[in-house]
Amino acid sequence: MRELRIIVVLLTAVVLCSSCENNRQAERQDVDAIASADTLGLLVDRIRQCSRLYTTEYRIHKIVTHEDVVRLKGKVMNRHVDMELPFGERKMAIPMDATVKAWIDLQDVTEENIEREDGRIRVLLPTPQLTLTSTKIRQNEVKEFVGLMRSRFTDKELTSYQQQGRQAIIESLDRERFVSEAQANAARVLVPLIVQMGYREEDISIVFRKDFDLETLLNHSVEKR
Amino acid sequence: MNKQNLFRKLLNVGQLMSPFLWPIALVAVILLALVWLTKGIEQTSLDVVVDDRIDRTPQYVEQIKTIGEWEFLTIEDEELVDTVRKGFFSDDHLVRIYYGTLRIGTNLQAVREGDIRVSGDTISVILPQVGLLDERFIDEARTKSFHESGDWTPADREALYQKARRQMLHRRLTPEVVSEARRHGEQQVAQLLRAWGFKHVEVSFSAE
Repeated sequence: MRELRIIVVLLTAVVLCSSCENNRQAERQDVDAIASADTLGLLVDRIRQCSRLYTTEYRIHKIVTHEDVVRLKGKVMNRHVDMELPFGERKMAIPMDATVKAWIDLQDVTEENIEREDGRIRVLLPTPQLTLTSTKIRQNEVKEFVGLMRSRFTDKELTSYQQQGRQAIIESLDRERFVSEAQANAARVLVPLIVQMGYREEDISIVFRKDFDLETLLNHSVEKR
Repeated sequence: MNKQNLFRKLLNVGQLMSPFLWPIALVAVILLALVWLTKGIEQTSLDVVVDDRIDRTPQYVEQIKTIGEWEFLTIEDEELVDTVRKGFFSDDHLVRIYYGTLRIGTNLQAVREGDIRVSGDTISVILPQVGLLDERFIDEARTKSFHESGDWTPADREALYQKARRQMLHRRLTPEVVSEARRHGEQQVAQLLRAWGFKHVEVSFSAE
């Protein structure tokens, strides 16, 4: 009987030790997982070779505003309820600047896109494209009003409004106007360089490829207006 | 008059009912009231609602500028930046992820008279120094909030932005990256000038 007790105690000790070891291994695995999560994904960089000619820069200003009131909405005893809670108002104004640039992909320009005949030159370029290159929040001008019954705006909420504002800027861009200005500016940038190559201004034509629904033909005389 | 009639009728019914039926009627009324209340509570649903969308506001083009920036290399970067404020009981933390795109190339508007020389089918071009095209390269409105504890002011967020900017410049704008951009730029300019019809092309970047 005594021997049986000793065996039971020993077996229990073995089970406890092995479970401790398992726990330690699991902890180690957890730490490894956290360490790998820390090093992966937190810092990502992408280097890309390109050949883009930026011709126009637009500085856009927008004041992103947000106003929310806590409301009690629903049904009570089969009756609709929709009421504002007192002191539940919050307001926020975030002034932001965005830079949009129009560019032409020069990687696409080949021998076939340049025609020379009797001292005249005609350059066929792809349609300009637009890119939002940067945004900046005017932090010193940010305004915030919070009602007595409300908590302040969290950083998560703030960044969410900024992201919505950024998206609104992209969606409201006057693309057609920007692209046609970018085409005129491309001629302004390229013509002086081509002149330095020995061509006369009046012999230079910058033509834009008919991509999408836009076709703009620009020669230097038109661009000079 | 009608009310009096109704009351009398009810009294008559009450008189007609035997004392044995009264408790049953009471229980029935209570049950009916309970059913009515339960149904009402079941149909009751109240939510506290807060709108999380921004308002529709206009945007203005403040400035339009003609530029002539030729980009040779783009580096897209994201930086995890944090700040800590030491407290008596616990520390406050603010951790954000900033996104930026560093564009490296040359400014064609700085090309001076005499930087492009042509002699027959040979062209020699000296382009302005390769460098960062835009000092503003962070897309701050794309920033993600990762963690926040404690109260933080716009000034703290501005300091965090500047920290992210310094980190991106320090880590990404290395001499190797600039020389890679220069090498790729030489290739691109030469390729374009050959397409222009020049057989011999010399491209270099000014040291200034």
